[in-house]
Amino acid sequence: MQKIRNRLNEYEPGQLRQRFKIAVIVVSVALALLVLRMWHLQVIKGEELRQRSENNSVRLRKIKPMRGLIMDSERRVLVDNQPSFDLVFIPNRARDIGNVIEKIKALYAERSLALPPILSFPGRLKPFVPVLLERNISREKLAVVETHAFDLPGVVVEVTPIRKYLNGEMTAQLIGFTGEVSREDLERDMSGRYAAGDITGKFGIEKFLDSHLRGRSGAEQVEVNVAGKTVRSLGKIPATTGDNVVLTIDSALQETAWKALGDRAGALVALDPRSGDVLALVSSPSFNPNLFNGGISFDDWESLSNDPRHPMENRSISGQYPPASTYKSVIAAAALEEGLITPETSFFCNGAFELGDRKFRCWQEKGHGHVKLHRALVESCDVYFYNLGKMLGVDRIAFYARAFGLGAPLGVDLSREKGGLIPTKQWKLDRLKEPWQMGETLSISIGQGFNLVTPLQLANIYAALANGGTFYRPRLVKQLESSDGRVVKEYGPEKQAALPVRPENIRIINRALWGAVNERGGTGYALKRKGEDVAGKTGTAQVVGLPQDEKGRKTKRVSAAFRDHALFACFAPYANPEIAVAVILENAGHGGTAAAPVARKVIDAYFAGKKTDQPPAKFVKVGSREKLEP
Amino acid sequence: MIKLDRRLIINFDWTLLVLVLIISGIGLLNIYSAGFSLSDLRQTPLFLKQVQWIAIGIAGMAIAFFVDYRTFSRHAYLIYGISIALLVIVLAAGYSTRGSQRWIALGGFTFQPSELIKLAIILALAKYFDRHQIGRNYRLRELFIPALIVLIPFLLILKQPDLGTGLILIILFFSIVFFVGLEWRSFLLAAAGGLILTPLGWHLLKDYQKERIMTFFSPERDPLGSGYHIIQSMIAVGSGGFFGKGFMKGSQTQLKFLPEQQTDFVFSVFAEEWGFLGGVILMVMFLLLIVWGLKIVFHSKDYLGALIAFGITMLIFWEVFINIGMVLGILPVVGIPLPFLSYGGSSMVVLMTSIGLLMNISVRRFILQS
Repeated sequence: MQKIRNRLNEYEPGQLRQRFKIAVIVVSVALALLVLRMWHLQVIKGEELRQRSENNSVRLRKIKPMRGLIMDSERRVLVDNQPSFDLVFIPNRARDIGNVIEKIKALYAERSLALPPILSFPGRLKPFVPVLLERNISREKLAVVETHAFDLPGVVVEVTPIRKYLNGEMTAQLIGFTGEVSREDLERDMSGRYAAGDITGKFGIEKFLDSHLRGRSGAEQVEVNVAGKTVRSLGKIPATTGDNVVLTIDSALQETAWKALGDRAGALVALDPRSGDVLALVSSPSFNPNLFNGGISFDDWESLSNDPRHPMENRSISGQYPPASTYKSVIAAAALEEGLITPETSFFCNGAFELGDRKFRCWQEKGHGHVKLHRALVESCDVYFYNLGKMLGVDRIAFYARAFGLGAPLGVDLSREKGGLIPTKQWKLDRLKEPWQMGETLSISIGQGFNLVTPLQLANIYAALANGGTFYRPRLVKQLESSDGRVVKEYGPEKQAALPVRPENIRIINRALWGAVNERGGTGYALKRKGEDVAGKTGTAQVVGLPQDEKGRKTKRVSAAFRDHALFACFAPYANPEIAVAVILENAGHGGTAAAPVARKVIDAYFAGKKTDQPPAKFVKVGSREKLEP
Repeated sequence: MIKLDRRLIINFDWTLLVLVLIISGIGLLNIYSAGFSLSDLRQTPLFLKQVQWIAIGIAGMAIAFFVDYRTFSRHAYLIYGISIALLVIVLAAGYSTRGSQRWIALGGFTFQPSELIKLAIILALAKYFDRHQIGRNYRLRELFIPALIVLIPFLLILKQPDLGTGLILIILFFSIVFFVGLEWRSFLLAAAGGLILTPLGWHLLKDYQKERIMTFFSPERDPLGSGYHIIQSMIAVGSGGFFGKGFMKGSQTQLKFLPEQQTDFVFSVFAEEWGFLGGVILMVMFLLLIVWGLKIVFHSKDYLGALIAFGITMLIFWEVFINIGMVLGILPVVGIPLPFLSYGGSSMVVLMTSIGLLMNISVRRFILQS
C-alpha cells in the first residue's frame, strides 16, 4: 500500500467538460487541417511537384571560396592558389564503378602514366554521392580522361582550388598548410561558419589567420536533372575570396637563414629591434608543405610524423633549449640593477668556484684571473657569473628573467608557442617536491640547469637590449588586405613592457656584447668584420648533465646526440641596431664556431640587401674599454 | 521509496506505450533513410544514435512511471530552478551551431536544456495552479506569478536565440491558462495588450527570425536563403504523391536537397517516401496519442494529475501541429522538433519521460484514494 503524503485535490471533471470538448475539437481540427494540406500538396499538386522533383529540381550548390594569398614584407608571394583537377565518379550515372576504374587503369597503362597509390572507393556506393577517384591529376591524365569521356560513363573532372607553397620547406613551419576540416573542428566550431568538406588552415599562419584567409562560401541555386547534372543557374551569390596576408618576414633573409642552417637541426629568429617585426623565422629540418595539398597520403604522413628529427616542429617558437652563456647578459643586468656590482667590481677566477666540497668549473680551465664585468662578458667567464648568481639568488634571477620575457609565451602570431622555463624555489618544491640547492643557482647563473628558452625569446632579449630596453610583441603579420588590394587591417608595433633596467646599465652590457665580437679574446671574435659592428654573445649548452669536472671542452669525445647545442644571439649595427638575430644549432658544438657563422651570413645578407652604410661605432673601440677598465 | 504495487502492472496503460513505440519506430525507420546519405562510413549512423536515445528515453519513462507523480510535483520548483540554471549555463558557456547557443556538453553527449524546461514549466505551473485554486476563473493579476514562471525561461531562450522553443513555452502557458479558466474581461484585455505589444516584439527578433517570418508569407522572396527550406520541403512532400516514392527512394531526400532533413524537417522525408497514405496514418497515430492523453486528463483522480497530463498532452499536440504545419508551408519556419520523429537526444528523452508521467497519472487513478 502506498503511503499518501499529499492531500488529494479531488476535482469534478464534469465542471470542465466544456473545456475538454473545446480541446478535442481544436486538436481534431488542427490535425485535419494538416491532412487537408497534405492532400492539397500530395494529391492535387502531387503530379506537378513530382515533375519538379524528378525532372528539374532546384538545388543549392556551394561555391568554395579562394583562400587569400600570403606575402612577405616586400610583397613577394609566398603562397598562391592553383587549380586542382579531381577525378570524380557519380554512381547514379553508371552503376559499375569497378569497370570504369579498370578502364582508367588501362588508359593510364597505355601511356605509361603512373597509377595513383589508391584508386579506391567505398565498398557500398550511395546512388547520389560522388566518389573521389583521384585528386589533383596531371595535365597528361586530364587529357586522357577528357578524350575518352565517352568510354568513362559517370566520370567527371571537378576543379577545386588548392594551395601552392612557393617556398616549400624554407617557410613550412611558419606558413603551415591546409586540409579538410576535421570532425572535431566541426563539433568545436563556435562560429558556425565551417561546414563538412571545407578547407581550413591546419598549422602555422594558415591556421592562425584562417578566419581571415578562408573567405566566405557562396551559393548558387541551380536546376538539376534526375542525374544531378546542372541544367541552368537560377541565382548566384558569389564566394568572397579571403583576405591577403602581408607578413613582416623578409623572404630573402629567410632563404639565407635556411641555407645557412643547412641540414643541421636548429632554428634562427631575426627581429627588427625597432618594431618587434619578425624578419626571419626558420626551423630545420623541415618538410614539404605541398605534400598536404588536397590530402596527404598515408605513407607521407606516417614518415613525417614518425621522423625522429621532428621536421614538423617549429623549433623557433616551440623548441626549448638551455640559454647557456647567452643568459649572462640577463644575470649581468640583474646584478647591476640590484646594485650588487658596479662595472669596477672584480672577482678572481682560478678556473673553478668552490661551493662546499663541490667545484664548479669555468670553461677556461686555467682561469681568467681578476675579472670585471666587461671582460667577464667578453670572455664569458663562468666563475664571475657563479659569484653574481650566488649574490642574486634564484628568485631574484627569476624576477629579471621574467622581465626579459622568459618563462611565458611572447604571444607571437602562431599557435603552439612555448614559454620555456624559469625555475624558482617554489617551482622546484611544487614540481619535484625537493628544496632548492645553491648549486642549482650556480648552474642557472650560466644559463644551464633547469633554464629553458625558445629561440624567439632569445632573439627578443637581444632586440630589447639593442633598442635600449623596450619589449615589443614579436609581430609576424604586417597587414591584411582584401583581394582587391584594399587594406583591411594594419598591425602596428606593440610595445609590451620596458625592461626594469636603467639605460646606463643596458649600455654597459651592450658595450661588453660589442666587445665579445670585436675585441681580441672575445668569444665571438670569429665574427668580427670590418665595416659592420655586431654585438653578441655566444653560448654552448650542455645537453646532458656531464659531471662538473668533465665539463666543457671534452665534449668532442661524446657521441653526436649528446653533443652541446651551439647558440649565438646578437644585434647589429651596434650604434643604431636594425636587426637582432638568435641562432640555435642542436648538437653542433661550440657557439662561437658553429652558431655565430650562421648569424653572420644572415646579418651580411641583411646589410647587403639594405645597402646601408652605417659607419662602425669607432668610439667604442678604444674609448669604452679604457673608460670601463681604467 | 518505491514499493512495486501489483496494481501498477494490472492497470498499466498499454495503449499509450504501444502508440508511442509505434510512432518512435516509424521515426527510427525514417531517420535511417534520412541519415543514410549523410552518414559517412566511418561515423556512427544517426539512426544507431537515435536507438541509443530511445533506450535512454525509455529508462527515463520507467523512472517517471514508478515514482508517484506527486513526488515529482513536490520537487517541481527545484526541477524548474535547475532547468533555469542550465539555461543560464548554456548562455554562458554553451555550444553553438549555426549562430545560436543551445547545447551544453555532458560527457560525450550534448544536451539541450531548452527541451528540459518544457517539462519543468508544466510541472511548476501544475503545482502552482493546484495550490492556488480559487473556485472561479482567474483574473489577469492573479496570473502574475505563473506568467513570471514562463517569462524567465522564455527570455533566456530568446537570447540563445531559439524562437521556436520560446513560442512553445508561450503557447503552453496559454493552453494551461485556458484549462484553469480565465475571466472573459481579462481575456479580452490580454488579447488587446498582445496586439499592441506585437510590433514591439518584432523589434526584439533577430534578423534571421524576421526573415523567416517574412519569407513564410512569400517564399519566393528569397529562394536562395530561408525560402529555400520551404520550397524544397513542399516539393519533397508534394512529390511523394498518394503512395509515396518508397522507403529510401526519395530523391529530394537522397540528393540532400533539404538541410536539417533529419531534425526539424524530418516529416518531409517521411511524406516524400510514404506519401499521403503514410502521412494520414502518422497523423492518426498522433491524434490517437493526443486524444488518449486528454482521456487521461479527464479520468485523473486529482486536479494536480489532470493539470500535468493536460500540459504534457498539449506540448505534444502543439509541437506536432507547428512542426508539420511548417514543413507543409502553412506556418513559418521556427525550430521546433517533431515529437518522436526528429533526430535529437534531448527532445526524445524529455518526451519519453513525459510519457512516463502520463502513464503514471493514468495508472494511479486506480491507486490513489481521497
